[in-house]
Amino acid sequence: MAIIEEISEFLQKGRAKNVKALVTQALEEGEDPKAILNEGLLSGMMIIGEKFKKDEVFVPDVLIAARAMNTGLAVLEPRLVEIGNEPVGKAVIGTVKGDLHDIGKNLVMMMLKGVGFEIHDLGVDVEPETFVDKAEEVGADIIGMSALLSTTMPNMGEVVEELKNRGLREKYIVMIGGAPVTEKFAREIGVDYYTPDAATCAEIAKKAVEERK
Amino acid sequence: MTPREKFIKCLKREPITGHVPHFELVFYLTMEAFRRVHPEHRVFHQWDQMSKREQDYHIQDIAETYIAYAEKYNHSAIFVQMDTGNMKYFDRTVRILEEIRNQTGDKYYTMVHGDPTFAIPTGDDMIEFTALLYEEEDKMKALAQKKVDHFKAFAEKMTRYEGLLDGFTLCSDYCFNANPFFSPDLFGEFIAPYLKDILDAYRSMGYYTIKHTDGNIMPILDQMVECGPDALHSLDPQGGVSLKKVKELVGDKVALCGNVNCGLLQTGTEEECVADIRRSLREGMPGYGYIFCTSNCAYTGLSLERYELMHRIWREEGIYPEAGKQ
Repeated sequence: MAIIEEISEFLQKGRAKNVKALVTQALEEGEDPKAILNEGLLSGMMIIGEKFKKDEVFVPDVLIAARAMNTGLAVLEPRLVEIGNEPVGKAVIGTVKGDLHDIGKNLVMMMLKGVGFEIHDLGVDVEPETFVDKAEEVGADIIGMSALLSTTMPNMGEVVEELKNRGLREKYIVMIGGAPVTEKFAREIGVDYYTPDAATCAEIAKKAVEERK
Repeated sequence: MTPREKFIKCLKREPITGHVPHFELVFYLTMEAFRRVHPEHRVFHQWDQMSKREQDYHIQDIAETYIAYAEKYNHSAIFVQMDTGNMKYFDRTVRILEEIRNQTGDKYYTMVHGDPTFAIPTGDDMIEFTALLYEEEDKMKALAQKKVDHFKAFAEKMTRYEGLLDGFTLCSDYCFNANPFFSPDLFGEFIAPYLKDILDAYRSMGYYTIKHTDGNIMPILDQMVECGPDALHSLDPQGGVSLKKVKELVGDKVALCGNVNCGLLQTGTEEECVADIRRSLREGMPGYGYIFCTSNCAYTGLSLERYELMHRIWREEGIYPEAGKQ
C-alpha cells in the first residue's frame, strides 16, 4: 500500500501516532505535501464524513479521525506554508449570542477543516457584529452560525440583518445549523444554507465556495 | 387517588382513570407565572455563612416555589434540582424534600437527579474524552464505576429518610438529533453496564427511575430499556423520535414521558402547537404507561402562553374514561 493511502487508512481508524509517523516519513521520502494533504489526510476525513452521513460511523469515530488529522497537519503545515498552499476557503464560525453550546459548532469546525477550510472560531455567545467584523478581517468566504436553543435561534437573523445594514449580505455564504434549526427557519431569516449535520455542512460549504470561485 | 399514586401507577404501566399524569422536569417560568425566582436561578454564595433560621426561610421559599408550579399546572411530580453529584448538597436536598412533604404530605411524587453515566461531553473536551474511550478503556471503566458507586452511596444515605424521596431521574444526555453520540457498541461497553448497575441499585432500595435523554434514541433504545428504567423521558421529536413507534416497540416494558415538541412550542404557529399537543396525547395515552410533558422542559425563554396552551389542552382532553368505559 502506498504511504499516502496508508495515511488515509490510519486516519480513518483514528490512529494519531501512526498518522504522525507516516506523514513524517512521507515528507522525508519526498512526497508532495499537497498530495499528503489532499489524498492522505483530507481524503481520509472525507471518507469518514461520508460514513457518518450514512450512519455507518458515529461522532466518536469522527472525533478520533479529526484528532489524527490534526496530528498529521501539525507535521505538514510548515511545508504547506513554504509552498504557499491555499485553503479551500475561509470560514468564520460561532455559536450565536445568548447560547453557550459548542459541541455542534466544534464538530462542524472539524469537518470543515477536514475538507480543507481555514477556520476562525469565534467561540460561543457571539455578538452579531463580531461575526461580520471577523469575516471582514480575515476575508472569509463563509459565516457559519450554530444555536442549540429555540430561544437563541432568532439571533441568527440578527447577523443577517447586520450584514444587510453594512451592505455585505451578498459577499458571504451564510450557513446555519443546530438542534432546533430547520430549513423553513433558514428561509425565513434569509441565509444561504441550513444543513442538518456536520458532514453535510462540510460538503455543502466546499461546493458553495467552489461554485462562487 | 393522589397525583403521586397515579404517577406511580403510570410508571408501573397500570390502568388509571381521570387525567393522564403531567409534570415537567423543570418549569423555569416561575417569575412570569407567579413572581418567584426559580431555584435554579438562585445563587447562594454565602449559604454556609447563613444562620440556620435564614437557611430555613430559603429552604421554605424554594419548596414553596416547587409546590406553587406543581399546584398551578396540576403536576403530579416535583423534581428537586440539586447537584446530587456533590455530597455537599445532600443535607440541603433532604431539607427541601422534607419541606415539600411537610407542606403537601404525600400528594406529589418527588424525584432528584441521579445519573452517574457518561453524557455527551462538552465541545472543549470531546476529543480528549473520546480518545480516552479508545485508548484508556480500563481507566474510563474505573471512572464509570466510581461515579456509580458515588450515586449508590447518595441513594443509600437517602434511604434513612423514609418516605421522603420516590425516585431518581437520570439526566445524562446521550443523543444528538441525528444519532446517539455513542455508537451502539460504545454504549454497550461504557454506558449500559453502569446504567443497569445504578438502576438495579435504586430499585433494590425501593426507588423508581426515569431515564432522560434528548435526541434520537432509536439506535440505543433496546439497550436503554434492557437496563430497566421504569420510564423513558423526553422522546424528543426534534430527534425524530415517534411516540407511537416507541410505544409499539417497548411500551410493554417501560413507561414513556414527554414528546410534546418543546422547540415547536417556541417557534411554531398556535395551530401547529395544538396539533402536536393533541398528537402526543393521542399517541401516548392508549394502553396507559404514559406521562404527559414536553420533550425537555419549560425552559427559560419559552412563551408562558404556549405552556399554558399545552396545559389547557391537557386539562380538557387528557382524560381517561372512568373504569369500564374505555
